[in-house]
Amino acid sequence: MNLALALKDSAVAALVSVALFIPIVGMVLDGRSLDFQIVRALVIVGGVFVGRLLISLLVQSRAGRLVNWALRPFTGLGARLTATIESRLLFFLLGAAGMLILLPFLPFTTNYLIQIVSLTLIYVLLGMGLNIVVGLAGLLDLGYVAFYAMGAYSYALLAKHLNLDFWTAIPIAGMLAALSGCVLGFPVLRMHGDYLAIVTLGFGEIIRILLVNLIDFTGGPNGISAPRPTLFGLVFSRRPEADETTFHDFFHIDYSASHRYIFVYLVILVLTCLAIWIFTRLREMPIGRAWEALREDEVACKALGINHLTTKLSAFTLGATFGGVGGALFGAMEGFLNPSSFTFIESAIILSIVVLGGMGSVTGVILAAVGITLLPELFREFEQFRMLVFGLAMVFVMIWRPTGLLRLRRKSFARIAHADR
Amino acid sequence: MAGPTVPKVSRGNPMYILAQQLVNGLILGSIYGLIAIGYTMVYGIIGMINFAHGEIYMISAYLFTIFLALVAVFGLTSLPVALLITLVATIILTGVYGFSVERIAYRPLRGSTRLAPLISAIGMSLVLQNYVQLAQGARDQALPPLYQGVLRFGSAAEFVQITHIQLIIIVVTVVSMAALTYLINYTELGRACRATQQDRTMANLLGINTDRTISLVFVIGASMAAVAGVLITFNFGSFNYFIGFVAGIKAFTAAVLGGIGSLPGAMLGGIILGLSESLFAGLVNTDYKDVFAFALLVAVLIFRPTGLLGKPEVEKI
Amino acid sequence: MKRSLSFVVLVAVFVFGLVVVQQSGVANAQDIKIGVAGPITGPYAKFGEQLTRGANAAAEAINKRGGIKGHKVVIVPGDDACDPKQARAVANRMVNDKVYAVAGHFCSSSTIPASEVYDEANILQITPASTNPLVTERGLPAVFRTCGRDDQQGSVAAEYIARELKGKRVAVIHDKDTYGQGLADAMKSALNKNFAIKEVLYEGVTRGDKDFNSLVTKMKGLNVDVIYFGGLHTEAGLIRRQAMEQGLNAEFLSGDGIVSDEFANIAGPSAVGVLMTFGADPTKSMAAKQIVEQFRAGGYEPEGYTLYSYATIQVIADALEATNVTRDGEKLAEYLKSHAFNTVMGKKEFDEKGDLKVSDYVVYRWFRDGGKITYKQITNL
Repeated sequence: MNLALALKDSAVAALVSVALFIPIVGMVLDGRSLDFQIVRALVIVGGVFVGRLLISLLVQSRAGRLVNWALRPFTGLGARLTATIESRLLFFLLGAAGMLILLPFLPFTTNYLIQIVSLTLIYVLLGMGLNIVVGLAGLLDLGYVAFYAMGAYSYALLAKHLNLDFWTAIPIAGMLAALSGCVLGFPVLRMHGDYLAIVTLGFGEIIRILLVNLIDFTGGPNGISAPRPTLFGLVFSRRPEADETTFHDFFHIDYSASHRYIFVYLVILVLTCLAIWIFTRLREMPIGRAWEALREDEVACKALGINHLTTKLSAFTLGATFGGVGGALFGAMEGFLNPSSFTFIESAIILSIVVLGGMGSVTGVILAAVGITLLPELFREFEQFRMLVFGLAMVFVMIWRPTGLLRLRRKSFARIAHADR
Repeated sequence: MAGPTVPKVSRGNPMYILAQQLVNGLILGSIYGLIAIGYTMVYGIIGMINFAHGEIYMISAYLFTIFLALVAVFGLTSLPVALLITLVATIILTGVYGFSVERIAYRPLRGSTRLAPLISAIGMSLVLQNYVQLAQGARDQALPPLYQGVLRFGSAAEFVQITHIQLIIIVVTVVSMAALTYLINYTELGRACRATQQDRTMANLLGINTDRTISLVFVIGASMAAVAGVLITFNFGSFNYFIGFVAGIKAFTAAVLGGIGSLPGAMLGGIILGLSESLFAGLVNTDYKDVFAFALLVAVLIFRPTGLLGKPEVEKI
Repeated sequence: MKRSLSFVVLVAVFVFGLVVVQQSGVANAQDIKIGVAGPITGPYAKFGEQLTRGANAAAEAINKRGGIKGHKVVIVPGDDACDPKQARAVANRMVNDKVYAVAGHFCSSSTIPASEVYDEANILQITPASTNPLVTERGLPAVFRTCGRDDQQGSVAAEYIARELKGKRVAVIHDKDTYGQGLADAMKSALNKNFAIKEVLYEGVTRGDKDFNSLVTKMKGLNVDVIYFGGLHTEAGLIRRQAMEQGLNAEFLSGDGIVSDEFANIAGPSAVGVLMTFGADPTKSMAAKQIVEQFRAGGYEPEGYTLYSYATIQVIADALEATNVTRDGEKLAEYLKSHAFNTVMGKKEFDEKGDLKVSDYVVYRWFRDGGKITYKQITNL
């Protein structure tokens, strides 16, 4: 064991952390003067030194090798699933979803829990949509939130201006988002990689700025109320308008705000399950295979007679449809929309769900969506640290599993796929 | 009375106003260009969008203000000396941040899929933002105007002006663009960078320490962000933990507009972006200047899919 | 090894999270919880501090004399960062926490969406600071405010521009937010209608932007003599600073959104001479004297909305006391509308909508007081 080397190594780490933490953590700007809090910075520096020393000693020791060996099952490149196995797994997945139907009726369930699970399901739905664009077709889209926003605002605006109800507005919102996906798809067909990424990002920003600026139409930064969903014309409201019948009056039960949450939750659950099913079917269909082929080698696809224009466009359009429906459901759940729900960071979160979960995989995306919505909620009490921890988790999951939690492999070309590095 | 009317008072001379708007645009463009140079440099070498670049710039603004206050605590009153010390310290420490970010979030991902470092970079940018918010508080920080030299052309009533600091921003942008172009094209480090960019394995075989080269590129990129952070903070005098995000997106746009990876392109893209925003805000409407900027980007990319000065993609079969 | 390391770090993070969640304490069930919501983090955190400082001081005073019917008052803070989406989430959490009433939020754009959640759960909401007329205009029975309204504030500003500043070429700028735009619109319509002055420029800026030079140059080109800004101190400070830099010496008038020393911090020396409308200085009144001194003894200057928040908690406590501690928002609202309250800011009465019966907007001016830039009242009611 080389103690001198370990000490030197830790000393260097500590020195770097002195440079990192002493000014920013140790000296807090207070107007034009400084509030010195050197101690807390020194604690961090000390932590880095001791931590680094322990790690480098551990790495060199037998115990460390033992730990490394023991953790092997968790630290490989990630489990691999073939699409076929996953399609069979789908049966179990949907079964598990069936269990979720019972959730609202369990004794310990609160509105808060229902809302979080609803949000998770919406993220699963969005993850499926972006999975088509990024995971299958390999088109890096940094502005997916645009379609999400389109769907949400279409839902709210259709109801406000045209008086459409929940059930009519949702498919129309999906269709409008699809249309915008198609419209965006045309100009960007020639672009690749990062150029595509910035154009989609720009598109997302344009939509958000329009939502902010068209104050008379969208309510601007102040947002807009999205209508409450209805069930066969029954409204969920404490004080109904004159011509409305409320859900609680109709069934002669006491009013409770949770009726609406439960109802929206069930709708979201059904639609998300539907989306998962559609995604797995699409993946098996010729179009899905064409997407993946296009992702791997565009030139070869053209040579083989795959129309890359329609193939790319269909990926964009279908992905956008999922986003639009997700947005409309989000609107129905929140009852209120404003542009700050549709910033770039939302695109980044959805993209990280797809990448962390494993591109093209269903189970992975579900796992990642659950993780990503639950992690910040877990830290609710610890409000200030939650986004910090969230970011750290993103970095470390990526280092831990660079190809995502679960990687998708097609059985047929598993052997010739790129070797793990 | 027949409704409110606008009183007829002579307007400012439109030529002066237009000239002033052009100057405003040039300054804003140089600011974008300055940040974009660091962006594009990192991209050019390792082909990765460094989303945390804007955050590095934000940190440098904090470091700069902290050091200025610290210098004052030590009783140094001579402004030029204080500024020089602060500038050097800021550049060095921001470089350390660039180095650490690369070490923690990007190096372990070298050689993995293309999206992994992107997600890791987004994560890192969240971490840096929230780290600064936790350490320094979320309030807006302000730097009082330290130096207010200004050049005015025209009469006392009507003039076009540019402050000395704004002039320095423009000069520094041009100089750093030129210096970095020279560095990449004519020095040994530059050759190592270009070799690393073209084929990492081959560069390694030829005895280039690619890890060190990439680290150095990150440190240089971060130093550029520091220069930008110092000058921009000096100019606007207000910042918070969130400025990195907007700056990052604008710089990214500028870099892509000019052709990502090309240093003169980053500056050109920045200036086009700045000018179009300024002129649109000045002549049409402030509300939609960002929409106009992004629409311009999309329009340019439709006709030149690799940006204005980017190398056209060659499809290899 | 890298992989095992990152795995270990991840596990540690999760375990840490779980431990934290386990340990987060729960308040005593006997206590009366009152929510205080506002921007505790974010660029407007100074305003959030004003609200929580005021509320905590009031709760402390109430608890010192025995609480409400023997129950201790506990303040439950909620952070909305002035973001409508987070405001909604905070409101849902307040409902879940079973608070008796809510004092908040700060930004009108947060107060309005949050009020729908409180209404659904039938919880009393009194905002100490949201001045947009819509807050109380939507017919929600249990929404009140202890501050004025923007239509009142706007007409005071319009009158000052027309009478005192003799403004001819007025530029109206807003930040597109409910509060900022609402205030700018109210001022604009008062100026158009009552004084027949038409603004020469009406434009919105984006919160978070730093460069307003093009806008300033544009105003210069229009020979603007008064700039009216509806919005908060960050953008106000930057616009003022850049205007002075470009030699545009127009009068600068804004509303209660810049009542914080942060404004002077950002605008620097150019803050001197800026005008703003705000309620008559509450710290000057007799009722407030002792409490203001207590604040100052604790090292905090009760500026801006601190005393408004204090008064709001007093009103809530009085109403709870009188109604035998009910959670029913509509019952509390009925009591509020039919009684007068003695608060730190003097006697306050509410009208049918939930607004104060008397508004007290006056004009303030920022000036240099020794080394510090601060503000003082320059007109009377």
